[in-house]
Amino acid sequence: MNKTKIHARSIIVMSILLLAMAFSPLVSSFPTGISGVKDSGCNCHGATTSESVIPTIEGLPEVYNYSETYELTVGFTGGPSTIGNINLGGFHLWASEGELASNDATVQRYNPSEVGHTEIGNDQTSWTLIWTAPASDKNIEFILHTNSVNGNAGGGAGSSGDEWNRLTAKVSAPIEVLEQANPYVVLSTLIVISAILLVITVTYIFYRTNPDSFNWKTFEPWICEWLTSTDHKKVGTLYFLAGLFFLGVGGIMALMIRIQLSVPGNDFLTQDQYNQFFTLHGTTMIFLAAMPLINGFANWMVPLQIGAPDLALPRINAMSFWLQPVGALLIFTGVFSGTGADTGWTGYAPYIVSETAHVGTTMWVAGQIMLVASSTLTGVNFLTTIAVMRAPGMGWMQMPLFTWSILVANLMLFLSIPAFGVGLVQVYLDRVIGTAFYDAGSGGDPLLWSHLFWYFGHPEVYVVIVPAFGVISEVIATSARRTVFGYRSMVYAMAGIGVVSFIVYGHHMFTSGMSPTLRFVTMLTTMLVAVPTGIKIFNWLKTMHRGSLVYRTHTLWALGFLVTFTLGGISGMFFPSMAMDLHFHESYFVVAHFHYVLVGGTVFGFFSAIYYWFPKMTGRMLDERLGVLHFLTAFISYNGVFWPMHRLGVWGMARRHHTYFISTEEAMGSLPAEAAGWNMFISVSAFLFFFSNFLLIANMIKSVIRGKKAPADPWGGWSFEWMTSSPPPTPSFGHFNHGEWIDLPTLKDSNEEHIGNDPSPLVKWFQSLMVLDDENEEVNN
Amino acid sequence: MSGDYHGDDDHEHQSAWGPHDWSHGAPHNSWAPIIMSIGIGIFLYTVASAYSWGEMVDPSSIPLIFLGLTISFFGMIIWWRQDASFDGIYEPRATGTPFQNIQIRKVAMWMFLMSEMMVFTSLFSTYMRYRLGLTPCVEIYESGSWIVNSQTIDSGEAVNCFLPASELIASSWFHIAPGAINTFALIISSFTIVQALRWAKKPVGSVDEEVRRKRVYRYLGSTWILAIIFLTLKMVEWFVGFYIPEIGFLGLHEHDIVSLVNEGYTIHADHYHPHHGWEDTHLAELAAANPSEFEEYFANIASIEGGYVTTDAVMMADIRVSTSTFFVTTGTHGAHVFIGIIGLTYMTWKAWTGGYTPQNAVSIEYFGLYWHFVDLIWVLVFPFFYLY
Repeated sequence: MNKTKIHARSIIVMSILLLAMAFSPLVSSFPTGISGVKDSGCNCHGATTSESVIPTIEGLPEVYNYSETYELTVGFTGGPSTIGNINLGGFHLWASEGELASNDATVQRYNPSEVGHTEIGNDQTSWTLIWTAPASDKNIEFILHTNSVNGNAGGGAGSSGDEWNRLTAKVSAPIEVLEQANPYVVLSTLIVISAILLVITVTYIFYRTNPDSFNWKTFEPWICEWLTSTDHKKVGTLYFLAGLFFLGVGGIMALMIRIQLSVPGNDFLTQDQYNQFFTLHGTTMIFLAAMPLINGFANWMVPLQIGAPDLALPRINAMSFWLQPVGALLIFTGVFSGTGADTGWTGYAPYIVSETAHVGTTMWVAGQIMLVASSTLTGVNFLTTIAVMRAPGMGWMQMPLFTWSILVANLMLFLSIPAFGVGLVQVYLDRVIGTAFYDAGSGGDPLLWSHLFWYFGHPEVYVVIVPAFGVISEVIATSARRTVFGYRSMVYAMAGIGVVSFIVYGHHMFTSGMSPTLRFVTMLTTMLVAVPTGIKIFNWLKTMHRGSLVYRTHTLWALGFLVTFTLGGISGMFFPSMAMDLHFHESYFVVAHFHYVLVGGTVFGFFSAIYYWFPKMTGRMLDERLGVLHFLTAFISYNGVFWPMHRLGVWGMARRHHTYFISTEEAMGSLPAEAAGWNMFISVSAFLFFFSNFLLIANMIKSVIRGKKAPADPWGGWSFEWMTSSPPPTPSFGHFNHGEWIDLPTLKDSNEEHIGNDPSPLVKWFQSLMVLDDENEEVNN
Repeated sequence: MSGDYHGDDDHEHQSAWGPHDWSHGAPHNSWAPIIMSIGIGIFLYTVASAYSWGEMVDPSSIPLIFLGLTISFFGMIIWWRQDASFDGIYEPRATGTPFQNIQIRKVAMWMFLMSEMMVFTSLFSTYMRYRLGLTPCVEIYESGSWIVNSQTIDSGEAVNCFLPASELIASSWFHIAPGAINTFALIISSFTIVQALRWAKKPVGSVDEEVRRKRVYRYLGSTWILAIIFLTLKMVEWFVGFYIPEIGFLGLHEHDIVSLVNEGYTIHADHYHPHHGWEDTHLAELAAANPSEFEEYFANIASIEGGYVTTDAVMMADIRVSTSTFFVTTGTHGAHVFIGIIGLTYMTWKAWTGGYTPQNAVSIEYFGLYWHFVDLIWVLVFPFFYLY
């Protein structure tokens, strides 16, 4: 136990180090571009401020009048004067609101919020300029920098005769404006609070399992067990918790985006902050919420469904998981220090390798590299497990459909993600050591990034949807109390999606100027995706048609999935059509479409999976009444969020824009007046949707603490996972004796008539190609 | 660690950081994954805070880079400590078709190599995009199109073009020597690793155990040395260069073979001066066809001697894209060799202790698969980047 303590402590120290780095403002302290003077001061005039220079600003009112023009006089006194010399210098003024303008030739305007001296104005002690107050109520801040140069000391950069100082001044609005919280602070606080809540909940659950012996001595080995476990069930639970946590974090970001968009011309988020929020919302939801949720269930169910004792490489599996939270910390680093990635989850070049992109982008890329490594290891692990560790007698065509879906998803993932990884490494090197892969100035091709990204990115969206297909197949077959209709066609449909996914990515680049021939080809292949997807939908309908459906919560989610996913699929058919795509791309129609497939598809699918497999995972039943309430509130509010977005998209509301304007007249870029109402409706629905999911959380906590004990097979399922107890023992099947596994289940133990199928001719042929190991080794063993 | 699991052989090989992998059927705990992840995170973070756009911006992060590497390496040591005592009691085999009876980890290694293949495919795609998409520097130079007027030449404006490393490396036998020797080093090392496997696999009784121990660690050690030679020569070729002494009977003159970086072939080469015996036919043609125009524009920078133009004008090329693809692709391959060296270090040590027996010899085979893959990639990298 003593050693465990040391290990736990060293882990804690390392984690604190990493956390401290994540929160440190290190990466934000390299101001970029012209705004640098405002933040960092006139570094070229010496490293630090000097007390002897006293900047002054005159002509500022205490309270301004709307749109009134004020003449300001800025200047300074003091500085490195020696007797007989007059100090001269320059200035830089920044105003948070209103417009600054020059009055004469000694002042120049950089942009509406920044002015500075001109070359001829560089040898004065005071300057005059114009400031126009804004037309609305704002708290206004002025930041003035002046430097003072001793005429005889030579002046110039860093000379002792050159000093500078900073002055800030505040002007109030005619009507008092309350200080607004910084959205970064709101987000960081919420993330930290959620993390603390998660820890408290987990600790509480541990406490409730055995209230008498709750102390550090029993808690420590328990927590160390979770930190070091390589058991597929424990790692699966970790994935699951991480996925739910980040689903919440991504949801919080979505809410802040919706607050910003609820009314036209809102300024809750600045454009800069909005860019970071939608970037991190996308990244979090795809890589940190959807993928871990899928991996959580895959970890739990795949070995159980194929009758394997564990995954093929248990320690690699733990490695895949632990790369994720650390990668997540790097991704969020920028937000904690106020300079998160602002590139969109696609991180398009050349912006991502430009200095205008926030410095936090580098950390975002670094975090993504870790996630890519994690996904590669996961892919290797699952493909190996499914290929070689199926129970004796279980052929490819006897595998449960969820296992099939994980196989197809991981095959797609680990054949495509190296391209993304290489692209990320190239961007990382561009940003860190200065290579020029995407530097257009040196002949780099920004479109190359789009190719590498979307070669991965499009299979990736199928990677997150195909496992949901697997879940729905399981749930609908079990609920309809019959085998899934057209098992073989389901498998081929999934495999077909897997193959086609690699040749459709061009539709993300229709507007990049690609050749019309290729656009046409991509259009056809993309439309082809609808065929296997349609086969699956009809198979599910047909499964229910002759079955007798039992309406459990997981069944409801599966039915909800069928509706929303089909709608999302139909809106998806608008995009391969080039003429439509040119019109709809970059609009809210796209947002509506991919949220219909990703939330209505993946998230609903995995909500269904939670209700379906939670009893198996914890040995406790979930509350069905709370479950139905969750389904009703979430399903209705969900449609309230995303259905109106189609309309907004058709009206021309642009995605990735931090605000929008409405007008009754036909004006460029403005929306009809109803758009404001719809946006408010969407925002309200978004809040309802977010909070309705707390019903699920409450349900899970309640059930873990005092839920009804679950039987081995509560729903009447017949795949292998229902054969073990709930929760399953460790190892899940069989036991290990003298170097051999014994008592592993065989297919005969399961209900053969449900999944019984002969191996297909293709499988038999492939089998005949495989060479068995030589006899020699056997003898030696 | 947890105290819950006691496999058959747990007591013999207890490790402070958890029992080793696959020693028994029950799950087994390991601190290695979380420690390695934190180490990698610290490493990626600190590298990006220390350097920005190729310049060191925060020297205080440099020690932390090494801290991150140390932590990752520490995690790896833990990983291996759990494996070191593995003596082949349990090597899981496939149960399902069509891979029946194949070792599971062998399948996993093939799967891993599949994704590695995609890594290099992506790098080669990048290379092909730029190699085929950008105009070669030679072509631009010889067409003379880089000379717009004499003013451009004076201001030193750089031309975007592609300058393959082979332009420098394949320019002489000596320049190509490190790469050529490396090719043979890797191919021979693929042979020695198979020899190590062969000796480790010989059935018990057919060979003296001491002879087996010596053969295995010597063959693994030779592989290790060949890999070290590979990386050393690569460093010589990239950064150091070498010196050719005067050897009369071979007709060698005393001269330096300058490394790529010293030639100016670096990722920051936005004003590179290519000067490798290219002939400017354009100017010569111009001079022949229209002597008066030639006189007017170029007389102050070029003159005609014996049909060829000699010019003092310097073509400046921005070759950062070419250098980036070269260094990152060959560097990624080098990183794979480096990872192989780390693995070989451990394996040679384990062989030294007599750790390989016919039962667990197959782990040499797993490494061998990876090593052959690295070799195969080099066989592709060499012609693509060094010869043509």
